Amino acid sequence: MILGALKLWQRYTCLSVAMCVPRQNVHLSCAKMIKEIHESQEGNVRIFQGVNILSPREPYLVKTDDSRGCCTICSLGLDVKHTDVLILSQFLRSDGCMLPRRVTGLCRNQQKRMSKMVAMAQKAGLMPNIAPPKSKMDPKRRYKWKKYNTYFDESTIKDVRSITSGKKGASTQM
Amino acid sequence: MTAYKRVQQWNTFARVWHLYDATWQNPFESAQRIMKYLKGLHKPIYHPLNDCGDHVVVINSGEIALLGDEWRKRVYFHHTGYPGGATWTLAWELHDKDPTMIMKKAVYNVMDGNLQRRYTMQRLHIYPDDDVPEKIKQNITNQIRQLRPVPKRLDRYAPEEVQRFPKVMDWPKNYILR
Repeated sequence: MILGALKLWQRYTCLSVAMCVPRQNVHLSCAKMIKEIHESQEGNVRIFQGVNILSPREPYLVKTDDSRGCCTICSLGLDVKHTDVLILSQFLRSDGCMLPRRVTGLCRNQQKRMSKMVAMAQKAGLMPNIAPPKSKMDPKRRYKWKKYNTYFDESTIKDVRSITSGKKGASTQM
Repeated sequence: MTAYKRVQQWNTFARVWHLYDATWQNPFESAQRIMKYLKGLHKPIYHPLNDCGDHVVVINSGEIALLGDEWRKRVYFHHTGYPGGATWTLAWELHDKDPTMIMKKAVYNVMDGNLQRRYTMQRLHIYPDDDVPEKIKQNITNQIRQLRPVPKRLDRYAPEEVQRFPKVMDWPKNYILR
């Protein structure tokens, strides 16, 4: 596995061992419910219904007790690479679109990093199963240079802070 | 010369056949490493006048990976010698025509342009996939370590493995899953 993912796994196992409590889906407070839209056909009537379900991610969620209020990626200190598809795919909708920041809960900097790395992973064809139907996410079905293996350098992703400070510098010069 | 010394002499100067899997490897970084084995630079007995280079069998050269937009930015130049005989071929076009050519040119270009270069190149065997002739396969005794890890695609993981992987994000309350 890739280093970032390994570190995350270690962190997860450490936490679960430290608490020494088997994880159960028994909640004292209100459980976090999410909704799913079910579609069914009864004769001439097509029924759409929103069903409340328990989040399937709940038992596997990494606890981050960060006092500074950092986002999860920052507080875990993860060095995520574009090949860590098990982490990157968590921020995606089923059609491969990046979720917005109010859903992911990431800081501005990490949100940009993650969305850039999702684009890298998709260009490299590492997440072909999270895509709209009939898309050419499988690299072997692409044309010209796109069908060949490509990897990316994460250091080319610029910091959000450096961009905004650069803009500020430009405005002061004006 | 004792029998032991004689066998030691044979083993020292015997040519070793190395295998290199080029899947998801950068050919230009790999060429630096392959060249050392071809010239025998990894051996303590190395000397330029000492013919001690090894054979390297490169497999899966069709699966090499280039960085970023290099497939359409890297250009291979050829001139026939006639007026107007210059051609510029992009890396992906060259790879379409011959999937072993980029690897071959990469190794050729990292070596010094001396009289030995052509003979050293004869010890390099490149195959676009893992279909290697039996005659060459039976010589191989060593494998060269890959330079970068081969990324695993998400659909190659088992569904339970994806589901049980630690999650860094949970959907907010009342989020409509889609």
